[in-house]
Amino acid sequence: MGSRRYDSRTTIFSPEGRLYQVEYALESISHAGTAIGIMVEDGIVLAAERKVTSTLLEQDTSVEKLYKLSDKITVAVAGLTADAEILINTARVHAQEYLKTYNEEIPVEILVRRLSDIKQGYTQHGGLRPFGVSFIYAGYDDRYGFQLYTSNPSGNYTGWKAISVGANTSAAQTLLQMDYKDEMNVQEAIELALKTLSKTTDNSSLTYDRLEFATIKKNKETGQIYQKIYKPDEIKELLIKTKIVKEDESKD
Amino acid sequence: MSGYDRALSIFSPDGHIFQVEYALEAVKRGTCAVGVKGTNCVVLGCERRSTLKLQDPRITPSKISKIDSHIVLSFSGLNADSRILIEKARVEAQSHRLTLEDPVTVEYLTRYIAGVQQKYTQSGGVRPFGISTLIAGFDPKDNVPKLYQTEPSGIYSSWTAQTIGRNSKTVREFLEKNYDNDTPPESVEDCVKLTIRSLLEVVQTGAKNIEITIVKPDSEIVILNNDEIGKYVEDIEREKQEQEREKSKKK
Amino acid sequence: MDIILGIRVQDCVIMATSKAVTRGISVLKDSDDKTRTLSPHVLLGFTGEAGDTVQFSEYIQANVQLYTTRENVELTPQATASFIRQELAKSIRSRRPYQANVLVAGYDVNGKKPELYQIDYLGTKVGLPYAAHGYAGFYTFSLLDRHYRPDMTQAEGLSLLKQCIDELQKRMPVDFKGVLVKVVSQDGVTEVEL
Repeated sequence: MGSRRYDSRTTIFSPEGRLYQVEYALESISHAGTAIGIMVEDGIVLAAERKVTSTLLEQDTSVEKLYKLSDKITVAVAGLTADAEILINTARVHAQEYLKTYNEEIPVEILVRRLSDIKQGYTQHGGLRPFGVSFIYAGYDDRYGFQLYTSNPSGNYTGWKAISVGANTSAAQTLLQMDYKDEMNVQEAIELALKTLSKTTDNSSLTYDRLEFATIKKNKETGQIYQKIYKPDEIKELLIKTKIVKEDESKD
Repeated sequence: MSGYDRALSIFSPDGHIFQVEYALEAVKRGTCAVGVKGTNCVVLGCERRSTLKLQDPRITPSKISKIDSHIVLSFSGLNADSRILIEKARVEAQSHRLTLEDPVTVEYLTRYIAGVQQKYTQSGGVRPFGISTLIAGFDPKDNVPKLYQTEPSGIYSSWTAQTIGRNSKTVREFLEKNYDNDTPPESVEDCVKLTIRSLLEVVQTGAKNIEITIVKPDSEIVILNNDEIGKYVEDIEREKQEQEREKSKKK
Repeated sequence: MDIILGIRVQDCVIMATSKAVTRGISVLKDSDDKTRTLSPHVLLGFTGEAGDTVQFSEYIQANVQLYTTRENVELTPQATASFIRQELAKSIRSRRPYQANVLVAGYDVNGKKPELYQIDYLGTKVGLPYAAHGYAGFYTFSLLDRHYRPDMTQAEGLSLLKQCIDELQKRMPVDFKGVLVKVVSQDGVTEVEL
């Protein structure tokens, strides 16, 4: 008995006023590969670990956890990639529609809210299950500068300085709280992200083929915003440079 | 036990609509919100969800929202649900201006919001909104403060002072004891003070977890910042201490 | 034969609209306001088919105000003008398009600069130092071409506008009952006497 009678449909409150389907969706995300976002003065770092199910899977060609939503917004995914893909498509269309209407880049929070509203809809309208995905959004706009948000299956969203979602998130969050400093720069944030992931990973060590990585930075002179999703080779280099992985280890 | 609480919103044999009742439970789990009418203002206050370390205070959404230039709304319950209802209310407020060349009255807007909430208790395949709202404001060209409440069922009601959400029972008892319908708080300061005092009954962490918005006639909406709220909290604590000192003296 | 004229000077935009409402051969009103305030720093002036213009402007006004309430921030004049352009571009492709031509006068609070846009019912949007719709331009552009400077003060702008209105009163075949003049600056929208 217990919860069983209230968990068959998403759109239903339990007697305690809870939405079990939403809670189960959150539960499913806590098994997904960890994603981390760290915001500092001059940029944002996103890092994500993906679960490798087989050695035969081609690792180098596919990106599955990091996506560009617009010229100034990148998102990291934790949860069902297939669900995420739908929301990412919507987000990309919406970002371009905003640009077309106002001739200005979409403010980060508007896009975050738009996606969160869609997620909310799936918790209230009939017969649908919630989206099994949490996002970390990293973006820039003129109003607030760099911004870091998360959104989850319930449709709630929150702004952060540093945050993790997915597996081992509480351990990762503790590490971030300990080591995050307001006056850090992007380089230090990169190191903190990698250090945190390497400590929380379920595997023995962090390897480049399990890692996805992105940064958003601002050019001080021109004010231009640069987004970069790292290629596998660049991640390999990064791991060696930050000494998370010793050179011989990564050669195997 | 026979499934009358599973289908979305139908009557059970003994006349309950369970989903609506359960939605009220979701409201009770939400952070507390308070509304207090003064003689020439309405104050909305609420408990801010505890800000976690590393949260970015600049961009964390507020729990008190402006619906139009003369009306604000606070809620208890599911945050995501509130956004949807607030959005609908804002569109209705502008749409009303457009078609009737007049801003909405507070009661009209309340009735609209309650109407939307009611619709979600009787339509197919949707669950009710898991929120109650407090709506505060002044009608256009009017000096009479207005304060309304709506519930997931679609019921709405008018109040001199009201509270919803977690621990609202404690806060309501406090308000019932300290609010006199015949002599509402004279000044804005007194009204804010009463609101904060009532919230302090249940908010342990003090000023940093309280939000206050004041509505005055002619679309004047004032949002207090942390320091301003902090001053009120200090004053209240000091008064409390003095009272206790006097009490112990008498003994 | 409505008059609408906008002049962008150093730190503000001046907008003048005729006060007459004309139907056929009659003047129905001599105190009309052919503008709407969209947000604290953006003013919309309109001419075109009576009815369409007011309907369209107030629809835009409601949408811009909705954006302001929702986002708790003003749309920039540039973004407002783009939004209006898109609405008119959608309208011209609909079954019954709005016959409305507008000027958007705004002050960009962040960039600290005045902006003036001309948008016609076809959806053509141009940012300009001075602009008009209809007949007003025929009589006044020569004056403006000769005397306009981007570094003019508000007072200089108003006196240039005065010259333009005098010319219109002299040459136009109808009485447009004078103009209503509004200024959009850092301090928002204010009505001024010419």
